Amino acid sequence: MGHTVLVCDDAIFMRTMITDILNQAGYDIVGEAESGTQAVQRYRDLKPDLVTMDIVMPDMGGIEAVREIVKHDPDAKILMCSAMGQQALVVEAIQAGAKDFVVKPFQPSRVLEAVQRVLG
Amino acid sequence: MDLAKYAALFVAESRAHLRSCNQLLIAWEQAPAAAEPVGGLFRAVHSIKGMAATMGYVQVSDVAHHAESLLDAIRGGRVTVRPEHLDLLFRAVDALEDGVEAAATGKAVTDAGSGALVRALEVAASGITAKSAPAPVAPAEPVAGALLDVAVVVRPGTPLRGARASLALRRVDALGTVSRVTPATPEFERDGFDGRFAFRLRTGAAPREVDAAVRAAGDIATVAIDIASEQPSLETAAFRQVRVDVERLDAMTKLAGELVVSRNRLLDVLAAQPDGELRRTVETLGRQVGEMQAEVLAARMTPVSELFDRFPRVVRDLARDLGKRVRLETEDGNIEVDRAVLEELGDPLVHLVRNAIDHGIEPAAAREAAGKPAEGRLRLLAAREKNSVVIQVLDDGRGIDRARVLRQARAAGVVDESLETLGDDQLLKVLSRSGFSTATAVSGVSGRGVGVDVVVTRLRALGGSVELSSRPGEGTTFALRVPLTLAIVSALLVRVGDERYAVPLAYVAEVVDYEGGARTGLGTAEVLLVRGARVPTLHLARLFAVPEARAHRRPAVVLQVGERRAAVVVDALEGQQDIVVEPFVAPVGTPPWFGGATILADGQPALILDAAALA
Repeated sequence: MGHTVLVCDDAIFMRTMITDILNQAGYDIVGEAESGTQAVQRYRDLKPDLVTMDIVMPDMGGIEAVREIVKHDPDAKILMCSAMGQQALVVEAIQAGAKDFVVKPFQPSRVLEAVQRVLG
Repeated sequence: MDLAKYAALFVAESRAHLRSCNQLLIAWEQAPAAAEPVGGLFRAVHSIKGMAATMGYVQVSDVAHHAESLLDAIRGGRVTVRPEHLDLLFRAVDALEDGVEAAATGKAVTDAGSGALVRALEVAASGITAKSAPAPVAPAEPVAGALLDVAVVVRPGTPLRGARASLALRRVDALGTVSRVTPATPEFERDGFDGRFAFRLRTGAAPREVDAAVRAAGDIATVAIDIASEQPSLETAAFRQVRVDVERLDAMTKLAGELVVSRNRLLDVLAAQPDGELRRTVETLGRQVGEMQAEVLAARMTPVSELFDRFPRVVRDLARDLGKRVRLETEDGNIEVDRAVLEELGDPLVHLVRNAIDHGIEPAAAREAAGKPAEGRLRLLAAREKNSVVIQVLDDGRGIDRARVLRQARAAGVVDESLETLGDDQLLKVLSRSGFSTATAVSGVSGRGVGVDVVVTRLRALGGSVELSSRPGEGTTFALRVPLTLAIVSALLVRVGDERYAVPLAYVAEVVDYEGGARTGLGTAEVLLVRGARVPTLHLARLFAVPEARAHRRPAVVLQVGERRAAVVVDALEGQQDIVVEPFVAPVGTPPWFGGATILADGQPALILDAAALA
């Protein structure tokens, strides 16, 4: 069985896209979240091997969610999904404990590279 | 090992540590409960101890050792900090300073006078228990693992290279201790970050493990790892920087300046030639000379903060000696100026700061009676203005007693009997007369005379100027205006009679047509109307007692120094030139309106006009 993944993004479009890329590569999408609060909740319930995390989400942002998740599980493997121009936010997320990042628009090969690095 | 070659490094680094010691002691004095200053002091004193011991400066390392023991006892809670401990530490820092300066001049470091201090430190540190003192001077403690210098380049074209760099740093952080990240990590958050960074890593891991950790961050183009030198002197030197003797830099500046003059001369000669290979080559060469000179000058630039940093201690000591309460605020505005300018500014600033505390700021009781906060406020500010820097010394004291200055000036025959009030400019003129003093009691602090004459003379020698404004009961402000660099000045060349003179462009507001302009008054009262404003007018030919030109279209150069302006009538303009200001020792009897001398592009000498003296 492939690694389990939780996909967090407020846009259905992005969630679908990431899910497709990862599914095709044999990963097992076990859940989705559309806000930071939901992401923290689902992480606790599902204990996935990997989380993909959007930075800007309603309710609780991605960086805050990273902090919360890492607080409960210091080994959590979180991959940030960022847009160009969000350098400062990505650096902040890394300092908060995120393990890697990918930049939108997504190229499937680069997403998979990053996922492999994080799970590696 | 030949230690002599490390002596300069020892002095330079010790000075830097001592500067931070003074700052930390002051911060500590203001907040005795704070923990950070103690740790910082301990580290600084410890570094000095290690270096001095290596150099064989026993007295310095001995004082440092005992100061460190006291700091350690305080840090460890074995001794409760009291004001006399701080005084003792201030004295220890002074003694270290003396030792370091003695080393700097190559004098033998004697132990005269440090015995009592060492004993006092010992007693203080033994407050409760003596056995807790740290071990005697030992070479820097052995450290685990190797020290690696790592340079990394993120693959060009990768998005968010800064974030990639942060990832690499985080991965490496797990292997050991990362220090000296270049550029500093906030740079990583900037969009312009080019993906090149370096850091130092203290680690037990092998270089190839470090390489793998960096590359695991992804999108890494190259990783270069060097074993770093364990030399303690290099520990604190910033990565990718070398120390250069100031004298060598001065020699380079002078040469670069002379190259510029030669270039100008060459271009002058070639101006008459038709376009051709030779001229194009010389023009290229000229540009390169200019660029090289700019680089050399940039290397001499030093942050103003280095000058300001010594004042917290000066102010604290003075305020204490005079029984006053003074808060110092500094704003250096991240401005950099030529090291030579900065060095020349030190003494004048100390003079003005002393005056402000001694004569300006009132004792606490008098301040409260006047409805002011008991604590006086002294500010040092630096700001850029065109090609100059303005440094202001502002106090919120009683202001200068104009009536008294006027009485004394009248008595001394310095001003016209009929003068009833002194404006700020006149006040400065009177105060800057050599030896003029209004101090009721000659204090040990400001000495005889208020020293304003010294300040004005020094600033003029720098091609700068001084402005003063003072309001009774509200305070006094001195503004010192100096060029950013002494090495090279853009100047307007003017002709008067048979001679040419250079006017620093920094002081030229504009050039107007004198003959066609509207004028009123005559002789010394002549005024030229410039854009509706009345500007006092001077004729250089009359001033220099040469026959006036009969030209029909004589121009007037409008000089501006701070708020003051003057229109200076000359025979003709001769263009603009970068000139190298030569040190100028004016022969006795030289009129005050010359600020220096230079060699022009055609090889002829010319005098430089002092705008501050004319405006």
